[in-house]
Amino acid sequence: MNIDIKHIAKLSRLSIEEDKMEKFQRDMENIVAMVEKLPAVENQTLAVDPADRMELRKDEIRPSLRREALLQNAPQSAAGCIVVPKTVE
Amino acid sequence: MSLYQHTAKELHEKLLKKECSAKEIAESVFARIDACEERVGAYVTLEREGAMAAAQAVDQKIAAGESIGPLAGIPVAVKDNICTKGVLTTCASRMLYNFRPPYDATVVEKLRGADYVMTGKANMDEFAMGSSCETSYFKKTANPHDLARVPGGSSGGSAAAVAAGEAVLALGSDTGGSIRQPASLCGVIGLKPTYGSVSRYGLVAFASSLDQIGPFGRCVEDVAALYGAICGRDKMDATTARRDYPDFSAFNGDVRGLRIGIPKEYFGPGVDPEVKELVHAALRELESAGAVLKELSLPGTDYALSAYYIISSAEASSNLARFDGVKYGYRAEEYDGLLDMYEKTRSQGFGDEVKRRIMLGTFVLSSGYYDAYYNKAKLFQKALRAEFVAAFEDCDLIATPTSPTVAFRLEENVDDPLKMYAADVCTIAVNIAGLPGLSVPCGVSEGLPVGMQLIGPRFSEQRLFDTAYAFQQLRGGSLCPMPELA
Repeated sequence: MNIDIKHIAKLSRLSIEEDKMEKFQRDMENIVAMVEKLPAVENQTLAVDPADRMELRKDEIRPSLRREALLQNAPQSAAGCIVVPKTVE
Repeated sequence: MSLYQHTAKELHEKLLKKECSAKEIAESVFARIDACEERVGAYVTLEREGAMAAAQAVDQKIAAGESIGPLAGIPVAVKDNICTKGVLTTCASRMLYNFRPPYDATVVEKLRGADYVMTGKANMDEFAMGSSCETSYFKKTANPHDLARVPGGSSGGSAAAVAAGEAVLALGSDTGGSIRQPASLCGVIGLKPTYGSVSRYGLVAFASSLDQIGPFGRCVEDVAALYGAICGRDKMDATTARRDYPDFSAFNGDVRGLRIGIPKEYFGPGVDPEVKELVHAALRELESAGAVLKELSLPGTDYALSAYYIISSAEASSNLARFDGVKYGYRAEEYDGLLDMYEKTRSQGFGDEVKRRIMLGTFVLSSGYYDAYYNKAKLFQKALRAEFVAAFEDCDLIATPTSPTVAFRLEENVDDPLKMYAADVCTIAVNIAGLPGLSVPCGVSEGLPVGMQLIGPRFSEQRLFDTAYAFQQLRGGSLCPMPELA
C-alpha cells in the first residue's frame, strides 16, 4: 500500500526531515503490510461485557494540586498562567 | 557475600535479626552502582541522598521497636515512566527531559507506605516503545551478562539493575513484553500482572488498554512480595478490578497433577533451537516432579503481533497528543505561531521510533481505515481472549519461551523495526488477552540467560508463583546467578 507519509505526519503534528523521508516511507509500508495479515473475525461485535465493566468513582470535590506545583513544569508561565503564542488573530 | 547480592527475603530476615542496618544495605547497593553503573548504564537518574534518608528512617523504626514489612529498607529501581513526586520522570525522552511530577504514581505511594528505598529511575526505550533500550534519548543500557549485548526492553534498565545487583528489586511496565523479555534476556524473574490488578495512575500512558506495571526480582518470593505490595483496586484508575488478593507470601511447591499446556505455535521456526530445548528441558523437570504436560494449539498467536501494532499504536497516537510544549516538558526554542510550536516541539522532542508509532496509529485511526484496521484488531482481540479461555479448560497454565532468542548485540536490530518487533512475538498475545505472564530463567545458551514464560488465566498470579517456586526448588533454590562484572 502506498502511504502518504507527509499527510500522516501533518495529521500527527510532526515533520519528518527530508533525508529520513524515504526510510520512514519504507518502514511504514512494511509495518502496514505486516498488520494487514490480520484475519477478519466473523459473527462478533464489540459490545461492552457487563461482567467486566468499568466503575467510575463519584464526581466529588476533593483537594487538588496547587497551582504553583503545576506551573513549575510549564515551559513558560507568567502571572499564574501558562504562556502560549497568540491563538486568535 | 556482600549485602547487595542478597534477595529481599534474605535482607528482611537480616534486618529483623539486626545483622545489618537498612543504611548498610543502601550503602552496599550504591557501592555496587559505583563499581558497575558506568558499564551497565541501568539508570537515568540516581537518588542516592533520598535513598540514604529513606534507609535511615527504616533504621529509626527498627530502633524504636516498631514492626517493619517485607519491603522496608529494600532498594528498588523504578522505571522512568512511573511518576515520582519531585524526582525527574523522563520516559527516556527529550520531550520530558526536565519533568518533575507534582505527584506520586499509586504504586510509588504504596511502596513509600511499605518503607521501600528508591535507588533511582531506570533507563528504558523512549516512552516504552522498543525491545532493546536503544531508543532511549539519554543512554544505552548494556546486558550485565555480556556488555556488548542489549538488556532487552522496554524495561531494560530495571532488568539490568536487578541482574547486576544495582538494585534488589525493580518496577517496570509491560505493554507487549516490556517486563518479561528484558527479564528473560538479563536472567531475572519478571511478572506482567493481569490487566486491571495494578493501578496505572501515574504511569505515563503508552497504550492504556494493554499497559500494566509489574515487578522484577532475583527470586520468586521477592517478585511475589513486590506484586502483593502494588496490586489492588485504586479509585484513581477505573480499570482496576474490585477483588481481594492474598498476600502472596506462601507458596505451594507441589506440582503433582498440575496440567501445563505447551502451545505448538510458540515453538515454531522463528524460535532459536537451543531456546526451545532449554524450555522443554525445564518442562521435563516439572513433569518428573508430577506435572502433566499437554500439547495444545493457539492459532491466534500468529496474528497477535499484527493486532498489537494496530491497537497499541492507535492508543499511543492519542495518548501522546498531550505532548505539545504547552503544559510541561520540552518546548521548541524557535517557532512561528501556535501550530508551528506544536509541530517543532513534537518533531524535536520525540525520537524516530515514537514518531513511527504515532504515525502508524494516526494512519489506522484515520478516516476510511478505522474499520479495516482498528475495529478488526479489536474484534481479533476478543477472539484471542476466547481462545485462551478455551485453552484453560484443558490446562491450568501454559508454558512457552519468553523470547525467541537470547540477548542480541547492541545495534543488531536497530535499523529494522520489523526485526525488532519480532523480539516480542512470544509475549504479545498475553497483553492482548489481558492475562498474567511470568518469566523465569530456565538455562543458559552460549553464556546468555534463557527465560521460560508461564501464562495463566486472569488473576491466577498465585498459581504462577507456586509453579515458579516449585521450579526454583527443583533448581536448588536459585534461578538468578549474578554476573561478576569484575
